[in-house]
Amino acid sequence: MVERRFSKILIIFFIILATFVSIFPFFWMLANSFMSEDQIFALPLKFWPDKLFKKGMWDNYREVFSNFSFALYTWNSFFVSFLAALGQIIVCPMAAFAFAKMRFHGRRAIYTLLLMTLMIPVQVIIIPEYYLMMKLGWLNSYLPLIIPSFLAGAFGTFMFISVFEAIPTALFDAAVIDGASAYKILWRVYFPQATASTATLFIIAFMNNWNDLLRPLLYIINPKLFTVTMGLTRFQNQYTTKWGLILTGSVISVLPLIVVYIFCQRYIIENQMSSGVKG
Amino acid sequence: MSEKQKFKWHSWATPWILVFPTLIGLVIFRLIPIVSSFFLSFTKWNLITDPKFIGLKNFKELFSDPVFWKILGNTLKITAGYVTGGMIFGLLLALLVNNKLRGMNFFRAAIYMPVITSSVAVGIVWTRILGPKYGILDFFLKKIGITAPYWLQDPSLAIWTVTFVQVWKMSGYYMILFLAGLQAISKEVIEASVVDGATPTQRLFRVTIPMLAPTTFFVLTVAIMDAFKNFELIYAMTMGGPQNATNTLVYSVYLNAFSYNRVGYAESIAWVLMVVVGLLTVGNFFIKKYWAQPLE
Repeated sequence: MVERRFSKILIIFFIILATFVSIFPFFWMLANSFMSEDQIFALPLKFWPDKLFKKGMWDNYREVFSNFSFALYTWNSFFVSFLAALGQIIVCPMAAFAFAKMRFHGRRAIYTLLLMTLMIPVQVIIIPEYYLMMKLGWLNSYLPLIIPSFLAGAFGTFMFISVFEAIPTALFDAAVIDGASAYKILWRVYFPQATASTATLFIIAFMNNWNDLLRPLLYIINPKLFTVTMGLTRFQNQYTTKWGLILTGSVISVLPLIVVYIFCQRYIIENQMSSGVKG
Repeated sequence: MSEKQKFKWHSWATPWILVFPTLIGLVIFRLIPIVSSFFLSFTKWNLITDPKFIGLKNFKELFSDPVFWKILGNTLKITAGYVTGGMIFGLLLALLVNNKLRGMNFFRAAIYMPVITSSVAVGIVWTRILGPKYGILDFFLKKIGITAPYWLQDPSLAIWTVTFVQVWKMSGYYMILFLAGLQAISKEVIEASVVDGATPTQRLFRVTIPMLAPTTFFVLTVAIMDAFKNFELIYAMTMGGPQNATNTLVYSVYLNAFSYNRVGYAESIAWVLMVVVGLLTVGNFFIKKYWAQPLE
């Protein structure tokens, strides 16, 4: 009994330690955003932000928002990530339905190629992609950030295939007997059965686009079109040691995602778990 | 499926219409770029003038450049360190959060949180934490009498620091994957081993871990893929420095193509990267065949 209690205390200790290590950097980011430059470069270190709940608490935020268009960048990121994610939740179920329910020539070949592209690092394809975007005259627009992830969402397709395959065939048979068209079966019968997966895919695609750096870095030159992640790197290069400001920018860039995450973490984690079992 | 021969519920064109957008994306944004990358690696090109065919010159230069070997070595080091670290921490965390405890959902969600945040912000805040003199880690190490090394400025250490941050960011993901595997192990097997008098250690190494083999294989596959996704972190933390100490294949493709305008050369690096990924995938396949049970 004593031994069991001891091991339980040990488990709790390690869980709390792991949680602390995982979220401390975010607290530190937040704490630093309420610190003055004097405090950041003071020794011995002070941990309690000197400006918190005092006059000038929002100084860093004010400076960041006025010198750098972080509000605009955040909006830009929302816009791009929303459209890219929206595209994926339309295109992926379509392809997945065809793969899961229909037999057609080349099905296996396309499926295999799609699976293989999951393994390939983006750097292998980025140069020809850049050239293509240049020739299309899409540089300095959001199209290169949206269209590739819109059309080539292999991950989402595989996710929907496994969801669609798990839907009871009785439902499918009933719809076919009723004479529903394939599109009707997809959008009226199958798609509504996959609400949780749709939400998860939307969030994951949204986050991936929000956090992406390489494509904005290559394709966006006009500062008015910067995404928040890219804006943050520009900001960092300009203010190399102004940690208060840089970390305030970081807070602004991660906060929207963390808020979304807090509300949706159940979905995301459950979905990741089911995809893991499937393999 | 046999009834389907008699009764057609959709026309021959329907699947093609449904697959069409994905197929277009696959061809235009994946297959054509991969093939063009291959051909461009034999050219001298700056994105503006026409590419000039120069045969194997890029590869010759690449293989005789000590910087390339360093970068290749770095890539392998990061991959090995990341895959090992990510899998070990992922499994340990999964074993921890698989216990029944009040508020466990909170702990899981908190440990998973770094996974969803941007690598750029993560890189920035860790640069601050690990900073010399004013960094919080150095401060505490000094308190217990240890002079901290220069985590990001010391060329022999920087690569492991970056690897550590990447492991820190992604361990929560592997935790969730392992957790799913743990929860799929049937209770009877565990109970049977308890009845047979297995100690917790025996249970872990003789029952749980062997039964986790398919999950472990899946995590290995995913971790290898993720190991090459460190461009953002390197960009935010070190920019490949000091003296190429944290430069990787992934990062130097970007550097050569878009900073030095040596596009053909960058493509030859991209193809070395492709070969590395390909070899790892093949190796992975053999592990699956001879060690892990087949998944389907």
